[in-house]
Amino acid sequence: MRKSRRFFSALNKRELLLPALFLAPAIAVLLALSIYPLIYSITISLQQETAAGVTWGLGNFTRLLSDNFFLTALAHTFVYAVAALTCEFLLGLGLALLLNKQIRGRGVFRASLLIPMMLPAVVVGVIWRLMLNPNFGAINETLKQFGINTGSLTWTASPKLAMLSVIAVDVWQWTPFVFLVLLAGLQAIPQEPYEAALIDGSSRWQTFWHVTLPLLKPSILIVLLLRTMDLLRVFDQIFILTEGGPGFATETISLYIYRTAFRFFDFGYAAAMSFVLLALTNVISAIYIKFLQAKETI
Amino acid sequence: MGHKIAQGGRYALLTAALLFSLAPVYWMLTISLKTEVDQFASPPPWFVFTPTLEHYYDAFVTRGFGNYLLTSAIVAVASTACALVIGTLAAYGLARFELPWRLNRRLSLWILSTRMFPAIVTAVPLFLMMRDVQLLNTRASLIIVYTGFNLPFVVWMMRGFFADLPRDLEEAALIDGDSRLGALVRVVLPLVSPGLAATAVFCLIVSWNEFLFALVLTQTDAAMTLPVGIAGRVTQYEIKWGVMSAAATVAIIPILVFALAVQKYLVRGLSMGAVKG
Repeated sequence: MRKSRRFFSALNKRELLLPALFLAPAIAVLLALSIYPLIYSITISLQQETAAGVTWGLGNFTRLLSDNFFLTALAHTFVYAVAALTCEFLLGLGLALLLNKQIRGRGVFRASLLIPMMLPAVVVGVIWRLMLNPNFGAINETLKQFGINTGSLTWTASPKLAMLSVIAVDVWQWTPFVFLVLLAGLQAIPQEPYEAALIDGSSRWQTFWHVTLPLLKPSILIVLLLRTMDLLRVFDQIFILTEGGPGFATETISLYIYRTAFRFFDFGYAAAMSFVLLALTNVISAIYIKFLQAKETI
Repeated sequence: MGHKIAQGGRYALLTAALLFSLAPVYWMLTISLKTEVDQFASPPPWFVFTPTLEHYYDAFVTRGFGNYLLTSAIVAVASTACALVIGTLAAYGLARFELPWRLNRRLSLWILSTRMFPAIVTAVPLFLMMRDVQLLNTRASLIIVYTGFNLPFVVWMMRGFFADLPRDLEEAALIDGDSRLGALVRVVLPLVSPGLAATAVFCLIVSWNEFLFALVLTQTDAAMTLPVGIAGRVTQYEIKWGVMSAAATVAIIPILVFALAVQKYLVRGLSMGAVKG
């Protein structure tokens, strides 16, 4: 901003001063709370504390490659994200296609479906601790009423079922969101292409594949982008449900970074890992955005 | 005939989806109202039991949850107010002035991009920064962090509302001798007040729900928010299920009220990543 004023005439100087005053507080806050922390994080990620004092270098980053806990957490994050995204998308799309009709009482249905996604993640964690508890949880109590032996179904406490449990909780919370975005997308599609398809004698499947899906693509990409970003950084629910356990069974990157920084106080290493997460989310979102823009130019 | 069956099937499907969404919330509510004997009964009393408020009393009077509730409210309101003032000014600047070098677009995108960082990426340095300035375990630290967190969202939402508004009215006010700020406060803001209210509600929800920063920045009773207080009880060795459910139930009451208030804007807001960090 300051540079621009030098290049502009006296008249423009005044015209730039005013917007600069409007924008300055926001830019200052974001520089202090987003950009400065990032720089701070870079500097600490390049430092390592040794017996001889602080040394500078890429030690924290090279250490990542041979850290099996980190690689496992990375793998868990991918499994979690891919599984939850697939379920949420297929369920949400299926529901949206089935319910894209005039329905009485739509407001009530929509308001109720919104509730899970509005809840604090901590409360979602609490709710599902209560649902999945092996001793008194509603899930096992329901199964028992059908005569199913629930002895081995310890859910979040079981190394085999813990990952499945945390994925299911995310699907519970976020499928309505996918559904609502895709429903809004479906309802924005005009009628004409469908009428043309009908005249051409297309089958239902052909109409879906050649008309609905291409026109819904922007909504699909946006909802997948948003969910992917959230899933890759997941922390809150898993922290409440399992704290990454049992053992290491549900430890994701965010949890491992948290543990490294705030349990082991190895801030430099935590910062280095957080940049891997940042790079990962950036690359994946860039791919989505590329697809989105490719769509828009057609 | 086939049409009627299909329509009936749709209602059945919707009802199943509702049941699936709401039953777990109902389960928590019942746990918070049951005596410990009823909580552990098998099969559990699903619908009929003698409700008790002892867990609510225990949580909010005997234990510190009243204080956590107060902290959550103060932090949410103060950070929302700060983000609204700063963000509305910036949004107005971006919507109403032609900046050189396509700065309007570039600045907007930059502001939005700051919102895209995974929370844990900034949580580590923010903890160290707050430690350096000795603001750990204070409400102020959370108000500051949440202001920055909500700001991009406010700018984007309000920029859209300003852009939708015709310029004539402000120009009339400017010709009448109002300053830019005067025109914004007296003419423009009243016109966008529904949008402003919706944006405020989103910020309140985000601040109210936020967990990771609160967990990292506050570890003492004096500055702990409700989610951190609840989480502290969950991960303890002996879990008081009733206390935990009572606190969690209270934590969702304002959210339900707010969610109903902003229903219309919800998909737009959520698409901006309003609810999750």
